Amino acid sequence: MKVVEINDVYKTYHDTEVEVKAVNGVTLSFEKGDFAVIVGPSGSGKTTLLNLIGGLDQPTGGEIIVAGHRLSELKPSELIDFRMEHVGFVFQSYNLIPVLTASENVGFILNLQKWPKEKRKARTDEMLASVGLSDRHNSRPSQLSGGQQQRVAVARALAPRPEFILADEPTANLDTKSAETLLDIMEKLNHDEKMTFIFSTHDIRVMKRARRVITLEDGRIVSDVRVNNN
Amino acid sequence: MKDYQLAWRNLWRNRRRTLITAASVFFAVFFALVMRSFQLGTYEKMYRDVIESYTGYLQLQHTDYIDESSLDNGFVIDPEIISRIEGDPNVTAVIPKLESFALAASGSRTQGVMVIGMDPEDEMKGLNIINRLVRYRLTPKAVEALKAESLPGRTAKLLDVFVNESFTDEASLISILGIGRTDTSDVLPLFRKHAAFENGYLTSADSGYAVIGNGLSEYLHAGVGDTLVLMGQGYHGTTAAGLYIIKGIVRMPQPEIDNRFVYLTLDDARYLYAAPGMATSAIISVRDTEDDDLVMTRNRLGQITGDGLAIRTWKEMNALLLNQMEADNKSGAIMIGILYLVIAFGVFGTVLMMMAERRREFGMLVSIGMQKGKLAKVISMEMFLVGFLGVAAGVAGSLPIVFLGYARPLRFTGEMAKMYEDYGFDPVMPMLLPDTYYLWQVVIVLLILLIAITFSVRKIFKMNVINAVRA
Repeated sequence: MKVVEINDVYKTYHDTEVEVKAVNGVTLSFEKGDFAVIVGPSGSGKTTLLNLIGGLDQPTGGEIIVAGHRLSELKPSELIDFRMEHVGFVFQSYNLIPVLTASENVGFILNLQKWPKEKRKARTDEMLASVGLSDRHNSRPSQLSGGQQQRVAVARALAPRPEFILADEPTANLDTKSAETLLDIMEKLNHDEKMTFIFSTHDIRVMKRARRVITLEDGRIVSDVRVNNN
Repeated sequence: MKDYQLAWRNLWRNRRRTLITAASVFFAVFFALVMRSFQLGTYEKMYRDVIESYTGYLQLQHTDYIDESSLDNGFVIDPEIISRIEGDPNVTAVIPKLESFALAASGSRTQGVMVIGMDPEDEMKGLNIINRLVRYRLTPKAVEALKAESLPGRTAKLLDVFVNESFTDEASLISILGIGRTDTSDVLPLFRKHAAFENGYLTSADSGYAVIGNGLSEYLHAGVGDTLVLMGQGYHGTTAAGLYIIKGIVRMPQPEIDNRFVYLTLDDARYLYAAPGMATSAIISVRDTEDDDLVMTRNRLGQITGDGLAIRTWKEMNALLLNQMEADNKSGAIMIGILYLVIAFGVFGTVLMMMAERRREFGMLVSIGMQKGKLAKVISMEMFLVGFLGVAAGVAGSLPIVFLGYARPLRFTGEMAKMYEDYGFDPVMPMLLPDTYYLWQVVIVLLILLIAITFSVRKIFKMNVINAVRA
């Protein structure tokens, strides 16, 4: 089942006098349960492609269909609701809300989605347990290590059961042990919950775990390889 | 988690900045309220002094008298109209008054004066001139005698500053001469002994006597028991001339009144100006003195007076004083405006810094699904809470001072008191109890916050999420 369909998508920037084609005619799709990485040199368009899939940016050409929604047809406020309901984001810099505890951070999107308190608590507990942080419910981000913060970010992204997770360089700020732990968790969630993960990364550790590696260069797909890592 | 809970927690993520911002609002509100309370309290005292010792709250006048205050615009007192006015539920007394100008002479000195004729017993029902009788005067002789006594050092020094100064009560004597609370019982008897001023007041039967202002007494070098000659023009051009014995000296509230004040009985004034049965006005003493009450009373009385006569409020009669105070009031408002402008920049600086520091967070929040409107609501709450903390603290901090300043007005001593005295003002700064001016300070701070909130909300709605997340 296709979760994301990208049909001949272009994204052109006119920020400078030179026209930059960050994404140049990409056609691609992701299936439910994919554990895919988008790799490529800096400026190849990885992050732009991720932003387009996540509805953070609009393509200058082509069409993106996510979970049955044509993103180009959604208004800005509808795009925000779309992201809340269908997309989980994991950022390079964790981006937790510093004034909330780990538990509150995980429950934040559930709160936005107006989950009942009991269900929200149960799901938050479940997600914190799944990332191995059952004992850090009441810790603020400043009381957690980088790896732990990123695990909370993954739990937050997964809590509302989105269609897929977009993870932009999720291991870039982590040491090897933390990165491996995080990837173990993501792999397990992918396996157990059939959650789709789409990474943008330079990190070889992530690439080694991926079952699909898409390579971008100058905004074009130069390879799309499925790998059997099991 | 509710939006306000998130806002409250965000408020304390940078505790120092929040406290500094709230403190700046607090100081602005606090100083503005204390300053306004002093300023408005002083105005109110001035108005009250003039009203209670000279004009009263309402007056019955000939319609043309307000434009040309002359005897020719006087009127014959109609007992029936007076009686009907006295019947009004808000009226406590009606005091006919004859007022005109004359040249006063005592010894070789002369001065243009205003002569006021009222029945002293009636006058006491509506005015408080008797409370303004000079009780103490620091004549050079009294000062010498006091210096010979063992006075506290500060009081002894101040005696030279206040030579020839007059005092209407012991409270002002104590504060102006810096007499300490513990010294009062020892020092006051010395003042009673050496500086007490023999003074008197008019009665209805006191024909041929006058009470004059302290400023006039000083100018004419005339004291109690001296002779005062009045010369002027009477009703319809007759000659007015009379000789009176000064029976009392009063300190009137404003220099222009104090330097020209001559008070005769109504009968003497009528005789002097050849205006039997006439008055230039009738002071109407009232129970409820709020503006609305006065206007309602005036409207009711206006139906009684008929053509040719009009009821004037104290504001109409003291337009010049009101204009002066209004001008002063504006300068005070400008000062407060500058104060708030500085605070506004401070608040705005905080908002700019906060928006810049949290840009990535805002981007992240919108990325993961928080509507910009909801984010703007949380940020607005944060700023409102900071402002509220400052305003609440400012109001709470000012209240004890304002109530204390109202109950025990600030009295100046020494040189500062002398300066006030020289300008003819009591060296007192009373405070006005909380009134609409409190509400205005809150409104001003809310406006500043509204501008800051509008700015931040606009920023949020114009935010490019991708750029914000990368920030």
